[in-house]
Amino acid sequence: MVRIEALSKRYAAGGTDILALSGISATIGEGEFVCLLGPSGCGKSTLLKIVAGLIPASSGTISIAGRVVTAPGPDRAMVFQDYALFPWMTVVENAEFGLAARGVAPARRAAASAELLKAVGLGEFAAKYPHHLSGGMKQRVSIARALAVDPMLLLMDEPFGALDAQTRFVMQQELLRIWRAYRKTVLFVTHSIEEALYLGDRVLLMTARPGRIKAEIPVASPRPRDIGSVEFARLRAQTLELLSEEIARSMEQEATAAVTS
Amino acid sequence: MSEATLARAAPTPAAVRPRRRPSRDFLLGAGTLVAFVLAWKLVHLSRLFPPWAFPAPEQVLGAFVKTLESGELLKNTWASVARQIVGVVLAALVGIPGGLLLGASRDARAALLPICRMVYPIPGIAWIPLAILWFGIGFKSTVFVIFFTGIWPILFNTMAGVTTLDGQYTDVARVYLAPRMFYVRKVLVPGSLPFIITGIRLTYGVGWRVIVGAEMISSITGLGFMIDDARWQLRPDVMVAGMITIAMIGWVMENWAFDWLERVTIERWGMKSQPR
Ligand SMILES: Nc1ncnc2c1ncn2[C@@H]1O[C@H](COP(=O)(O)OP(=O)(O)OP(=O)(O)O)[C@@H](O)[C@H]1O
Ligand SMILES: [Mg+2]
Repeated sequence: MVRIEALSKRYAAGGTDILALSGISATIGEGEFVCLLGPSGCGKSTLLKIVAGLIPASSGTISIAGRVVTAPGPDRAMVFQDYALFPWMTVVENAEFGLAARGVAPARRAAASAELLKAVGLGEFAAKYPHHLSGGMKQRVSIARALAVDPMLLLMDEPFGALDAQTRFVMQQELLRIWRAYRKTVLFVTHSIEEALYLGDRVLLMTARPGRIKAEIPVASPRPRDIGSVEFARLRAQTLELLSEEIARSMEQEATAAVTS
Repeated sequence: MSEATLARAAPTPAAVRPRRRPSRDFLLGAGTLVAFVLAWKLVHLSRLFPPWAFPAPEQVLGAFVKTLESGELLKNTWASVARQIVGVVLAALVGIPGGLLLGASRDARAALLPICRMVYPIPGIAWIPLAILWFGIGFKSTVFVIFFTGIWPILFNTMAGVTTLDGQYTDVARVYLAPRMFYVRKVLVPGSLPFIITGIRLTYGVGWRVIVGAEMISSITGLGFMIDDARWQLRPDVMVAGMITIAMIGWVMENWAFDWLERVTIERWGMKSQPR
């Protein structure tokens, strides 16, 4: 279980302080798929990076399975929005990166990556370099790299944000399939309402900066979900209403920032 | 994500080797070269310069053949190339790790950049008298001069490569718990390679430029020596033959060695911005 308690983050950037997150508390159950939804600039990436241990929180704690975490650890892996694959490594080398970093023997690495690349449908492309792949394929490699280290918690920061609508839909279904097969806990950042409601067991809606949790929206309907259903439309309208207020506030903030700077 | 996307993304051979130009480009380049030789011949015929100071193209060709036959050209070329290789390799061996350190550590930059910035404007030639005092005439002093002139481009370029490396690569390395040396080997060095290769290219060019000067002063072998020695024998044809040899070796390195290095690394990885 992941427990986020009273988390705040203040960035000190060139004399001015930016309060990015304020008093975030949430728990994520084992094996749960939680989506983090919020307007642009509300601190979603910041929260994810703190959970990953890449940047420190200003106050508050994060604990995983009862242990407080402040640095990256073997229990977490991350999938970045723009894939963050290493262009100088082949697909299989990228997928094995985490294992190689941990000093896992080549034979065991190869077995693990072969299985995972097959699972994400890239078995044929092991020897290719990332620049030969389409966006969707790159993100599959990035997912394989994350799964390879067998993390308990999978952190995903708008992983499908750069993909076209069709590829995105395919990848969403792929992800759900992988999530079921590998039984990971997932914290998934998005700013698409449909994506959040399609994927998540629960949606955490964030306010405009400073980011707080504005609402928790459980999505009870069984998967695969029908995005054309009345139930989905109702949930979508409800979420949109909540989010719209925050988007308006976020745009207001940006406008004042533009005027004062 | 289909085969079609893959085929589109995969570069065609023409894209991989931008220097394989259609013959039009080749003809233009070769045409200019021929025109240059003709103009040279015309100037020679015009007697604008006295013939003992201005060789004709065919005289230079003759000097080539003669120095080749006597073994003089090959011996001196090899002497220069060996010094150049040793000097450049030494510069890379010190400059690349040094640049990685400077790029990765703010403290190292604060401590070392001021002195580097003071030393590097000193022209390579200015080191020669001191190098002769320390190492005597010949191999060592020339290598020293190449090293001291050549280290700066590779050092500063490697540093720039590290400081401009996408921070996300570092985040990935941290998330996946990469140990320090693993990170240096697998992320920092390959990630900075476009800059490192540019640095080596420049180092090579700077070294090749300074070597001739160094050999004129502090050597009794090498192409620089051969050119300078021809002055005493009043043999401008040998001088020009030496100069052309220098140009050709530079051209071969530029167009073959370094381009090859780029092809098997950063071009293969799609990290090279396609030129022109
Ligand atoms: N390193 C930093 N230094 C200073 N301010 C930062 C830094 N990183 C983020 N911020 C600020 O903190 C706020 C939250 O940023 P963050 O990237 O977490 O938002 P986000 O919700 O992920 O936005 P987006 O939807 O655009 O990805 C923004 O106002 C941003 O400008
Ligand atoms: Mg973000």
